[in-house]
Amino acid sequence: MRRKKSKSEDEAEINITPMLDVVFILLIFFIVTTSFVKESGVDLSRPSNEPPKDVEVSEVVAIKIDATGTITIKDRVTDVRAIRANVESALALKPDTSVVVAAHRDADAGILVRVVDQARMAGATKVSLAALAN
Amino acid sequence: MARRHAEAEEETEINITPMLDIVFIMLIFFIVTTSFVKETGIDPTRPEAETASLRARSNILIGVTEQGDIWYNKDQIEITAVRQRVEEATAENPESSAVIIADEGAPTGVLIDIMDQIRLGGVIDIAVAATPEGT
Repeated sequence: MRRKKSKSEDEAEINITPMLDVVFILLIFFIVTTSFVKESGVDLSRPSNEPPKDVEVSEVVAIKIDATGTITIKDRVTDVRAIRANVESALALKPDTSVVVAAHRDADAGILVRVVDQARMAGATKVSLAALAN
Repeated sequence: MARRHAEAEEETEINITPMLDIVFIMLIFFIVTTSFVKETGIDPTRPEAETASLRARSNILIGVTEQGDIWYNKDQIEITAVRQRVEEATAENPESSAVIIADEGAPTGVLIDIMDQIRLGGVIDIAVAATPEGT
């Protein structure tokens, strides 16, 4: 009896080799398919078309980009490098100022990103995008 | 002698339990981090931006070429199909966020249209891809 018991104990070990195979295959699959693609980007918000419910008008700096890529702030033609100073002075006057970039449909996306980048560097947290009709 | 030999054979089995632990932890790690990013299929020139930040776990990538063509999952698609693709992606992963990889010369109008379509598809977290300055 004693001898038999010790023998059955020896055999009671579960064979985990097939499970190991499966686990390894899964591991290799996930290692191969994992892509650590991390896009870097600039956050942009697009206001919805619905009219805003709260009529809480804070100061807005409107930056216009026309079809040729000319940048206009308050009817003054400016350079990309001047945007930061303009937005900074507006923020200094009213800290909750939001920035709206109105771009013409044919303007290059590169200029848009650069303008948004400059506005964000000036400290504007809310930068949104609007389409310019003409 | 024979008895000793048998004993030694029994002891030569390597203990694989710690290896198994490590393998399981690796497996769980890779299962959790895999997000199955669908490549756009194009490689546009991204604009440079100093405030560009790395966006982890962005699984919707939409590419825009200089001509204004829209690419998603290695296919060129129409603007009207963007919403449906975004809805499919959010059904798979409700915490989706989108990145539009637009070429420097891509028209802004297409960009705005895509952003509207993504919003309609239920994703509010949208960014425009940019390379950090100097890289």
